[in-house]
Amino acid sequence: MDTSNPAAFVNAELQRGYIGRKVRAVVQVTHSDGGLTTGKSTDDRQLIIKGLPQVPPRSYIEVIGIAENNQSIKSDMWTNFGNTFDLHSYNQLCQLANGEFKGLFL
Amino acid sequence: MFSGSQFDATSAFSGGGFMTSQSTQLNDSTLSPAKNRETQGLFPVTVKQISEASQSGDEKSNFIINGVDVTNVTMVGMVFDKAGRTTDVGFILDDGTGRIGCRRWVNETVDTKEMDEILDGMYVRVYGHLKSFQGVRELVAFSVRPVTNYDEISFHFIDCIHNHLHSKFRSKGAGLTQTPSDSSLNAPIRNASNGYQPPSSNTLYGHYSMDGLKDCDKLVLDYLHQHSDMADERGIHVNELSRELKLPEEKIRLSLKTLGDDGLVYSTIDDNHYKQA
Repeated sequence: MDTSNPAAFVNAELQRGYIGRKVRAVVQVTHSDGGLTTGKSTDDRQLIIKGLPQVPPRSYIEVIGIAENNQSIKSDMWTNFGNTFDLHSYNQLCQLANGEFKGLFL
Repeated sequence: MFSGSQFDATSAFSGGGFMTSQSTQLNDSTLSPAKNRETQGLFPVTVKQISEASQSGDEKSNFIINGVDVTNVTMVGMVFDKAGRTTDVGFILDDGTGRIGCRRWVNETVDTKEMDEILDGMYVRVYGHLKSFQGVRELVAFSVRPVTNYDEISFHFIDCIHNHLHSKFRSKGAGLTQTPSDSSLNAPIRNASNGYQPPSSNTLYGHYSMDGLKDCDKLVLDYLHQHSDMADERGIHVNELSRELKLPEEKIRLSLKTLGDDGLVYSTIDDNHYKQA
């Protein structure tokens, strides 16, 4: 068992608290050119993801990587969540996992 | 990576939704050992929670999370370092809160088939039981399914929070006075500690007030009786009665007057102190 390197659930707002650390975020892709990918975070802001291949626009992707600054993540791993995903629930989860129930996650 | 054929195979095997698969898969392989261990059900947990679980007693497989015995758990995470052997498949499950080693015994063809689908980097839902082997906590999985609807990830972690709250409430409910039913449970404890059984919450006060003065009279009389000390001629102060019985002062005074009229109590040094006659 190893809990030394967790990935925090974040939206754009919460990402500020994890700069330089491992995070996981879901975004809906708005633009992707194989270099930089821009997407809409679960709290409806823009996030830039680095290190992704070309991803079809409008699809939902989860990125696990390092938060470089307030609005960019360097991707280590990513998963295509497809074309339907409940951003609202995920966003609520981000808030719970960073608030009252942080102890269950980090 | 997540092709349509994969989805079909999984749902055919597990019966579709994850709730259904939970029951079908559990029935076959694990109900009897679970019963032997007197565990109650299947808990959604995070790796972090397992890492913080305490282990109780001699039986190494007893894990306690939030004061609840936990053996069978369900987790959602990513598979890493999958390694197939003749009798089992081992892998690391990373749920974002931590990593835990998992082992899935493969006896039947259906087991092998299930595990063949699982690849590194894939999100899976795992059902299994917690074990500690040579001091290392691991999960012996009896079902490993690829996640096909990614809302299941959000669902799982919300489920963990829900379950956490649920067991926290349960373990608290037994020890604290929070609801009317709890206070009645709690009464014997108070009885032991101070020799009297007062209503222990405001909720109960409502009950007594509705029943009229009779009950209040009895409480006051009982309290005076229990706390009567021959050496102390002053008796009990009205404020103490009010505080201990959790009843308003005017109610206490009214009762004392009634009891006084009946000759059951009398005032001592002043109008605020009473003793039982």
